[in-house]
Amino acid sequence: MSMRRRTLLKVIVLGDSGYVHMKFTQQYKATIGADFVTKELQIDDRDVTLQIWDTAGQERFQSLGVAFYRGADCCVLVYDVNVMKSFDSLDNWHEEFLKQANPTDPRTFPFILLGNKIDVDGGNTRVVSEKKAKDWCASKENIPYFETSAKEDINVDAAFHCIAKTALANERKQDMKQYGFIKQWRFGYDHYLVLHFSLHSRDL
Amino acid sequence: MLMILDSFSSLWCNLAAVFKYMVGHISFILFAQIGTKHWRYYDFGPKVVPPLICLPGTAGTADVYYKQIMSLSMKVGYRVISVDIPCVWNHQEWIQGFEKFLDAIDVHHIHLYGTSLGGFLAQLFAQHRPRRVKSLILSNTFLETSSFSAAMRWAPIVGWAPSFLLKRYILTGIHDGPQEPFIADSVDFVVSQVETLSRDDLASRLAFTVDNASVGPLLLSDSFITIMDTNDYSSIPQELKDQLGERYPAARRAYLKTGGDFPFLSRPDEVNLHLQLHLRRVGVEAKPDLVRTIPKDGSGGSPGKENDEKKDHDDQPNGNGGNPESTSKES
Repeated sequence: MSMRRRTLLKVIVLGDSGYVHMKFTQQYKATIGADFVTKELQIDDRDVTLQIWDTAGQERFQSLGVAFYRGADCCVLVYDVNVMKSFDSLDNWHEEFLKQANPTDPRTFPFILLGNKIDVDGGNTRVVSEKKAKDWCASKENIPYFETSAKEDINVDAAFHCIAKTALANERKQDMKQYGFIKQWRFGYDHYLVLHFSLHSRDL
Repeated sequence: MLMILDSFSSLWCNLAAVFKYMVGHISFILFAQIGTKHWRYYDFGPKVVPPLICLPGTAGTADVYYKQIMSLSMKVGYRVISVDIPCVWNHQEWIQGFEKFLDAIDVHHIHLYGTSLGGFLAQLFAQHRPRRVKSLILSNTFLETSSFSAAMRWAPIVGWAPSFLLKRYILTGIHDGPQEPFIADSVDFVVSQVETLSRDDLASRLAFTVDNASVGPLLLSDSFITIMDTNDYSSIPQELKDQLGERYPAARRAYLKTGGDFPFLSRPDEVNLHLQLHLRRVGVEAKPDLVRTIPKDGSGGSPGKENDEKKDHDDQPNGNGGNPESTSKES
């Protein structure tokens, strides 16, 4: 009891291209299309460990099973500002996450949108405007929006800080509900042992 | 009274029954008598894959990992071996005994998944037999046993304590109080396993826990270590877990949000996912094409097999190899 437990937050990254790892080999995709990294942060005096799960994109997410998204505290949607298709599929990812993770309150479950690769070609190849992205966020219960470059490390820390804060706020509500009701321990162990030994006292 | 006991035990009986059903009517449990040590273990999955060997904690047996066996070796195509920790009374005996066991089942390079006391044993083996242990997954475990021996005042007489006292001591270490159903079931299953252990098993495990041993530096790089602690609670104090984390700063942290003391039973899908990610990272490839629906080679790891042909050149010589009766109990 002398030490404060660190808070563990589970973050799921979804989007047409992997964000944290960027690359998955073909072989990896064939087996498990996901991996995670951990990031230690301090938020308002609390030690927070972010466990950031990334998928290899495509439809791998569905095949990952419950273990992947169970207990998620936040979902990060990522698109490439230079690729219109990646923006268009955000609706799908959003819907897909809600379907798979089945959070207790879909309207308040924390999402964050990241527009990535803003560094590419000095922004000349950009096809999705900031306004367009913000409009989309407004249409989904005001999802926070960040423009980042994972490659140039622009705005990434700010984004993850926001992710952690948002997830932290959601954390307590989620945890217990994942497994439904709490079962009262039926008998104490002493009780159990008394029962057992009265039946098998010969063994002693 | 019988009725109460029946309803109480129905849940864990079901779990065990499912497992027995899955592996068919033949018992797939294997036994090996090596020296004076009696080994009880499961061995499933393609023999060509370097095995993941699961080492249970004080209260566990080989059976507690049945959910890993069912998924990883029967579906995914890894070789999973789960062992009962035999009656070993100190760490030298453990290292020599386990090495002989590996020789007898003809396994050379291994990946160890150890929980609680099993994790401690895994680290000791990795420290003393560095060439055999290729990677480690450590779950809710510790580096040294001094705090346990300090907490257990009757440690000196553990070798003579009666069975019920030992059981009681082990069971009170398990987190009590209200639990969500999956964790409560996992506790029930482990409690049922404690019942199967003999007095010597129990005494030797407790004696081991209070042996005042500690894990020295490992040759294994941190990048081949995954720490899979549960973040809700476990019977291992947080200070000990933190101490372990500090020893392996670059190890991968695969924390589980919840799961209690026995996440391999209460959160099997998450644990299996982490085990797979670990094995993938350390370069072990599953062989799904070699998975048979009902394995026919249950005797694949039988103790009588001659194993001299494929002796590992780079391993330390097995000094007692020719003298199986030389292992003696603690004097």
